[in-house]
Amino acid sequence: MRYPKEVVLKDRSEAVIRPLQKDDGGMLSRFYAAIPDNNRWYMRHDVTDPLVIKKMIDSIGRGNVFSTVALVGDRIVAHASLLMRGHGSTQHVGRLRIAVLPGYRHKRLGTWVLLDLIQYAMDTGLNDLRADFVVGIEDNAIESARKLDFFKVAVIPEYVKSPRGIRYDLQIMVKRLHRTWADF
Amino acid sequence: MSSSQPAESARDTRNADVRIRSFCSAREIGLLKFNPQFGAHAQYKSLYTRRESLEQIAAQPDANVTLAVQADRMIVGFGVLAYPEPSERWAQLQPQVMAEVKAIEVARDWRSKKVAGRILEKLTSHRSMEEKIAYMVGYSWTWDLDGTRKTAQQYRQMLIRLFESCGFIEYQTNEPNICLKPENLFMGRVGQAVDEQTIQAFKWLRFGIDP
Repeated sequence: MRYPKEVVLKDRSEAVIRPLQKDDGGMLSRFYAAIPDNNRWYMRHDVTDPLVIKKMIDSIGRGNVFSTVALVGDRIVAHASLLMRGHGSTQHVGRLRIAVLPGYRHKRLGTWVLLDLIQYAMDTGLNDLRADFVVGIEDNAIESARKLDFFKVAVIPEYVKSPRGIRYDLQIMVKRLHRTWADF
Repeated sequence: MSSSQPAESARDTRNADVRIRSFCSAREIGLLKFNPQFGAHAQYKSLYTRRESLEQIAAQPDANVTLAVQADRMIVGFGVLAYPEPSERWAQLQPQVMAEVKAIEVARDWRSKKVAGRILEKLTSHRSMEEKIAYMVGYSWTWDLDGTRKTAQQYRQMLIRLFESCGFIEYQTNEPNICLKPENLFMGRVGQAVDEQTIQAFKWLRFGIDP
């Protein structure tokens, strides 16, 4: 795949998508520091922890994680990862995680980043992509995923808790990566 | 593409000589035979199934119909470069800067002999192309996956390699038909004489933004 990929957003601002690099640690820390607390709460890891960022950087080129960033100037405005098992019964499945700075949401940046990872997943030979969303918190992301042919396969009722203890459903969505047009 | 003279090159293949001839006129095409493999197959239909369709395009201003022709005057491959239809997004860049590689097709028996690469080279190597933005749109539902025994992704990669060899690069676009499937493809080649303003306008156009 050709990187960097240049995209123009709805508001005419321009962003560049490229793989995460070894020297991105500082920029990535600043990116996650600018993500609001109430968004970070629902992330799988504590991304304010320097060790978590270090682990993300260390995983570059290891094969089971592929991460990209979207940059505006020298600032990371989105970070996305495709996580792969690499062996066993779910080696055909990739899991997606995407974070976008609030100021860059609703501008199609998330869609471009997601589309890029879908293409990467297809190149890698994966069959399915999975993304989990918190219903009521990540509804816009659910809608974006739906537009890219992700469909709901399961809902775990009241699985997720907000900082104040309010429970939300967790929705699991999957996209099939078809190998021929006949599957369309 | 205007005032172009036909150009020809010969190529030996395992089976027979094939001549690649660019800027074929409608009259020239009318004298040739059309390989019957350019037709409807179980899972695939050629973009052009009649020789007359190529003749019509060849008659358009500035169009470049490049043919791969066997010694017995049989067309075994063709490429079509022409301006986009006025209704298409890419026609908005004026005055007629963009030219589309509308088709590259090689008869099934003649594939894997580098015929397509020679056709594409002839389509895009004319000096007037340095003033144009050539582009191609790859819709996965038009690909002969059955005949090539490739997956859509493998076919996509094959197209990327083919077009990259002639200076094309992959571009992102929000053109709705291209966005319908992630394996769809949009590639372009910006001529060296294209000015910065046009390159910028091409960028806006790719994302459907009025300058």
